[in-house]
Amino acid sequence: MAAEKISLYNLADLKNTADDAIPNYLNSLKFKQTHFLSDVRLGLGYTAFVICAACFAWDYKLGFEDTKIYTAIAVALYTLLNGALTFWMMFVEKGVVYQGTSPSGEKITVVSTTKKLDPTYRLSITVTDKSAKSHIIEVAKPFASFFDESGYFVAVPFQEILATAVPVIGKLDPRRIKSESQDMLNANPELLDAILAANNGASTGVDASEGGKRRKA
Amino acid sequence: MFSGLQNPRNIAAQIMNFGLVLSTAFMMWKGLSIVADSPSPIVVVLSGSMEPAFQRGDLLLLWNRELFTETSVGDIVVYNVKDKEIPIVHRVVRKFGHGDKARLLTKGDNNVADDTELYARGQDYLERSDIVGSVVAYVPFVGYVTILLSEYPWLKTAMLGIMGLMVVLQRE
Amino acid sequence: MHSSFTRLQNVFGFFTTVAFVLGAFIAATDLGSARTPSGVIKTDNIQVVKGRPHYYSSKKEEYAIIRFSLEADLSSLFTWNTKQLFVYVTADWTSPGGTNNSAVIWDSIITNPSADHLQNLGPVAMKKLKKSAEGKSIAPERGLLKLKNQKPKYQITHPSGKIAETADVTLKLHYNVQPWVGVLTWNMDKPLGVWNAMRGGVSDLFTLPALKSKDGKGKDTKDKSSTKSKKSKKP
Repeated sequence: MAAEKISLYNLADLKNTADDAIPNYLNSLKFKQTHFLSDVRLGLGYTAFVICAACFAWDYKLGFEDTKIYTAIAVALYTLLNGALTFWMMFVEKGVVYQGTSPSGEKITVVSTTKKLDPTYRLSITVTDKSAKSHIIEVAKPFASFFDESGYFVAVPFQEILATAVPVIGKLDPRRIKSESQDMLNANPELLDAILAANNGASTGVDASEGGKRRKA
Repeated sequence: MFSGLQNPRNIAAQIMNFGLVLSTAFMMWKGLSIVADSPSPIVVVLSGSMEPAFQRGDLLLLWNRELFTETSVGDIVVYNVKDKEIPIVHRVVRKFGHGDKARLLTKGDNNVADDTELYARGQDYLERSDIVGSVVAYVPFVGYVTILLSEYPWLKTAMLGIMGLMVVLQRE
Repeated sequence: MHSSFTRLQNVFGFFTTVAFVLGAFIAATDLGSARTPSGVIKTDNIQVVKGRPHYYSSKKEEYAIIRFSLEADLSSLFTWNTKQLFVYVTADWTSPGGTNNSAVIWDSIITNPSADHLQNLGPVAMKKLKKSAEGKSIAPERGLLKLKNQKPKYQITHPSGKIAETADVTLKLHYNVQPWVGVLTWNMDKPLGVWNAMRGGVSDLFTLPALKSKDGKGKDTKDKSSTKSKKSKKP
């Protein structure tokens, strides 16, 4: 993983790479992944494909006239299966990229989306605890925060996003939790300067309090 | 590009997506065949014998069901001749009798003579079962690609290559 | 839209969509233009002669040569989406067994000026044709037909080889509109929307005459016009 260079201008590529990183990370934390959704999708798709292949075979070998009825049935079945597949992907899977259970028993479902012309990775993470109560965590981060400028995926910041936003993940990987202040300092070098200055003791109280205000903001 | 390869489900999904594109195209064609009751509901004009109505490369939509009227004189039909590969698009100019036993004679609008010469040895008329369908709609020129492909085989190779490459390079 | 290739792909995809939709719109405009075809057709001199289907044939068949007069107004069939009009006249009759027979005795391709260049004509005729509608892309006046005592293009027979004295034959005027894009249409029995059925266009019933007794004539028919007619008889 991560050795793959992709085009930073290709939103689908960015999303796919990030999507692939989620199961890698969560499974490494001993989450147990459930493949039910994708297995149903694959089942529907491959059944449809097999029907089509069979139809192609008899049509090729026996000709159109003799196999008309079977072809008609195959077309109907194929349409049904393809409809079911579309339905499944649109209304059941709905962009789910990961489903699994944490070692401590919480169920987690991760849905990822992107919007056209907006390089932001949006995650909607549903966590269901053992008492079947669920809550949804929404995360939206620019892809730039976990891709370097030449198009390589960088795992650490990506994992930090997940661990910080989702307590269930954070608990299993505390090293990746970023304190908010830390985050802020990284994002705002000016602030860092201010704090450094304050720590040096060379500044006035006004500066320090200003820094404090910003921190809260 | 191959990031998905670590997970067998991802490979399976990728192959499936490609397979479904192909199979959906094929099944749409077959669906059209079933609806029109014709083994090839869309044909490309290969000769100039129906000019100026049809030029080489034009696309014809065929219908092979006799829902309201039988195939009759004046219809433009596509027919196959025994032991000849290429189907012919010509107009019915004579019809004797009706139903499956009807004897049909065809002629290209642009030809001087009727089609007796084109039929199989000893065959003077077509029967309904020789006909693949009657022309109902017309789209100019779009089929020219297939003529190019059959006349320049290297184009076929090149196109297949590009398509294959695209599938490998792209997801979704 | 992340590379020139996908851009090209998208542009091409968009182009095909636009072209397809535009084509559909153009085809749909046919439904909005009224069609009021009409015609009067009469038989003139009719002969039945003996002839051979082709030079080397030893078999002799009867051929009907039906001259006719036609006055038709098909001008309403010419619109901007008309590529050509195929006009044809059939002779229709019912055999004693109750089977229907129909054969084209005359046909004509009438192009809209937009398709003149596609006609299979000699350079002189082509020049004349193009001149006849100079500067116009639609020429409804070409749909006005006036034929007097017209010789048929095709002499007709029946697979049995017998056609003399056939009763209750009619001549019928037909047309087939070939569009630049869209649905092909023929004359209809019933009106549809603003498309009217053909007014008239059918001759009175007539009976084919007896065979011309002295058939010194028969020999001449073998290479007449385009009749590469039938050798008939199926096993």
